[in-house]
Amino acid sequence: MTAASATRPSKVAPKRVGERQEALAGYALIAVPMVLFLVLNIGSIVYAAFISLWKWNVRTGPQKFLGLDNYVNALNDPIFRSAITNTLYYTVIWVPLTMALGLFLAVIVNQKIRGKTFFRGAFYFPSIASSAAITTIWIFLLNPFGLFNEVRGVLGLNPIFSLLGYDPNQDWLGDYHTAMNGVIILNAWTTSGTFMIFYLASLQAIPHEVYEAAAIDGAGAWDTFWRVTFPLLRPGHFFVATVGIIGGLQLFDQAVMIGNVDGAPANSLMTLVLYLYNAAFKRLQYGYAAAIGVVLFLIIFTATLIQRRIFEGRQPATA
Amino acid sequence: MKQGQMQNPPQMPRQGEDAPAPDVPGSSMTSRAVVASGGDAGLAAALPAPVSQPRTTVVGDTSHAWRRRLAYFFLIAYALLMFVPFGWTLITSFKTLEDSVRLTIIPQPFTTAAWEYALNNLQPNIVQMFFNSFVVAIAVTLTNVVLGSLAGYAFARLRFPGRNILFLIVLATLMIPDQLRMLPIYIITNSLGLGKGPLQLVSIVLVLAISATSVFLLRQYFLTIPKDLEEAARMDGAGHWTTFLRVMLPLATPAIAAVTILQFQGTWNGFFWPFVLIRDQNLWTLPLGLTEFRLVGGFGTNWPPLMATVVLATAPILLLYLFFQRYFVEGIAASGVKG
Repeated sequence: MTAASATRPSKVAPKRVGERQEALAGYALIAVPMVLFLVLNIGSIVYAAFISLWKWNVRTGPQKFLGLDNYVNALNDPIFRSAITNTLYYTVIWVPLTMALGLFLAVIVNQKIRGKTFFRGAFYFPSIASSAAITTIWIFLLNPFGLFNEVRGVLGLNPIFSLLGYDPNQDWLGDYHTAMNGVIILNAWTTSGTFMIFYLASLQAIPHEVYEAAAIDGAGAWDTFWRVTFPLLRPGHFFVATVGIIGGLQLFDQAVMIGNVDGAPANSLMTLVLYLYNAAFKRLQYGYAAAIGVVLFLIIFTATLIQRRIFEGRQPATA
Repeated sequence: MKQGQMQNPPQMPRQGEDAPAPDVPGSSMTSRAVVASGGDAGLAAALPAPVSQPRTTVVGDTSHAWRRRLAYFFLIAYALLMFVPFGWTLITSFKTLEDSVRLTIIPQPFTTAAWEYALNNLQPNIVQMFFNSFVVAIAVTLTNVVLGSLAGYAFARLRFPGRNILFLIVLATLMIPDQLRMLPIYIITNSLGLGKGPLQLVSIVLVLAISATSVFLLRQYFLTIPKDLEEAARMDGAGHWTTFLRVMLPLATPAIAAVTILQFQGTWNGFFWPFVLIRDQNLWTLPLGLTEFRLVGGFGTNWPPLMATVVLATAPILLLYLFFQRYFVEGIAASGVKG
């Protein structure tokens, strides 16, 4: 019997024939996926980092070693800076907004109500469609003569909007003041259901006894939520925020579909990723594009680490 | 930090015990691996299917009726917000262009002209794009199921040196943004000769052939299958391969279903890689076509046929969703959102 060795993953080289066979089988099964992971993921990072140090010729490859010049140039590039600003603006607003919506939906759907399954399915529904389809719908709804402008006219809301400085046929996605906010609301709408699902999983991991204890202490629903549920959802907050930030920093599809690769109107939809795409395939500056990619990766990586610090804190996880 | 370790399941005695011990390394390793991977600390939390028995929270039976009414009001209002844009899209596809910017709920006149236009006049043909999307989505789904279950089984059940490190590497790939990989992959696939003709579709399949999510989902599922079943098969003289095919794989059907749905949907809807890797018009997938139609030429504000195309592009996923809703939810709970 190999029961003893089975209790721990063996870090020692396998001795018996059976163990050797098992190890060989293991390597055989993971071989193809592992090669793909190593080449297309790990290899890509290394390759991208390498390219970023060069002036890179599209046909012939490395042309002139630049060291960190591509990075320095990026930092001095006004469009790169506005791409960073736009991307951060989007992320800072979109993530908390969508988290709040998702949490709100999750808490409501998690109660004793009729049609729970239906509502859950309904709220998740926009997440299943492609970004292309959703964005096309959004462009249609928000066009100057679209449903949104029509409905606010019919509801008599136009005086309020004109106080805010928008005319009855405001081109929401074509005006650089409002285009990014339009994208934020679009993605809050489509992603709130996904965040709801994440929060539901976390909510259901909270032991029932905790609520019973709160009830015995005479805590009302409001207090129970803020004093008990919300802090105990810490692992959920962490997960949702991380996923959100990573997704937010990579905003691309909606920006391209609305403003084409130029980030129109007036660079207001120029995101970090879109700028990277431009540098690579419009201006053919591979080295520069790779440098932007590395910066993006570092930002995402740092954001994730900071998140871990904040959310892991002292609170023991409940998950 | 020390308290953080309390989240690990209570440890069974670690050495030399017989009966339930084999499962321990698996489960305790899971939480450690996931925590160490950085971005995925919540994965473990997210995994248990949200479909399972919900618990009642805050509002108990003592709550006031108005609170419940308020909840229903929000639920219904928000549900409407979810459906109205799609409903409006469907309605618009049966309108004339003139009528499409008016607030008529029943098209006046009702016409299928937009559908005929979308089916006949688009370049490339929409049937062609449908076919392209379908081929790529099926291929990617297949490779993920096959490679994912092989690797998932190995990581869950077979012992080999370096197993933990390799699995960590797999999980770590979840942290790498696609955009960082864009240029290297573009260069690599081109130098492999995948930049021309139908091979452009192959390059997409290659890039998406296996995702860490698929491996992770299947591994987690294999870990939950009792070892006794496998050992019984071994006793009967079955090798690893037979055990895997005859015993483990059939038991993993729910996880395979989740991976299938997740990958099919993700690839069908995918925009980024086709946008980067496909140049020939006749190889466009539907999302690419939708975007290009809007941006190029006068089709951009010809709303009714554009909406008909949106309906066509969404219909297959919608059908899948109606029938397999819980697998969508399980898959997404374990994966995360894409840009």
